[in-house]
Amino acid sequence: MNRSSNSNDPGAVSPPSGRNAGPGRLLVAVYAIFALAATARAAFQILTKFDHAPIAYLLSAFAAVVYIVATVGLARSGATAYRVSVAAVGVEMAGVLAVGIFGLIDPAALPDDTVWSGFGSGYGYVPLVLPIIGLWWLYRHRADARR
Amino acid sequence: MAVDPLFLVGSLVCLVSVVLCIGAAVLKQGPNDLTILSAAAVELFLLVYGAASLLRLAGGQGIAGAAWEFWGYLLTALIIPVGAVWWSLMDRSRWSNIVLSAVGITVFVMLFRMEQIWDGATLL
Repeated sequence: MNRSSNSNDPGAVSPPSGRNAGPGRLLVAVYAIFALAATARAAFQILTKFDHAPIAYLLSAFAAVVYIVATVGLARSGATAYRVSVAAVGVEMAGVLAVGIFGLIDPAALPDDTVWSGFGSGYGYVPLVLPIIGLWWLYRHRADARR
Repeated sequence: MAVDPLFLVGSLVCLVSVVLCIGAAVLKQGPNDLTILSAAAVELFLLVYGAASLLRLAGGQGIAGAAWEFWGYLLTALIIPVGAVWWSLMDRSRWSNIVLSAVGITVFVMLFRMEQIWDGATLL
């Protein structure tokens, strides 16, 4: 990989850069835990009771994939990983809001809980807070997008 | 309803690990023997918990909730300390101690769920 070294930016030369160092590592760890939890939950739901609420369980599986992609994107250095993480965390933010609002409007349509139901109330609202922190963190380290 | 002694022991191990890891991070130390071994102690407890659960099942006790879900939680929980310790060996900064502290917090929540599934009751 050919990185343009910018003397104004101490993190520009060698990975890991500021985005995935220090507190950024904590963010990666929390995303990794959510990726694991969401994957395990979706696998359990789909394998044991898929017929009960297929849409809710497919949504859980989708959420799990989004968390996995976000974890990898946040953990890796470079411009592509930056764009991947912005996209994944953005989808996560939209997903939590959409599923939460949809659940308020039409509770019967999603009979079983997903990770994102009730704005993530089943997980202590971490699913709602996490993408806000994630997007803020990515905004703070937006210089990474140019590398 | 009496609280399961295994759940209490596990909660204590998690609590001690979390306090040690956050304490070390606050003192700006990198991951050391104390914090890494405390996460390893959580893993050891989970192995003992799994073995004890098998013995209890063999002894005629049953899981009130879905057995699938109980063992799914336990197997997932077993991965967490391994991942965090691996991470702490790769990254020697003090942030790794915060990552190690996530082991105790996460495993405690999962133990709580496993206890609910085992007894088929809601704690608290």
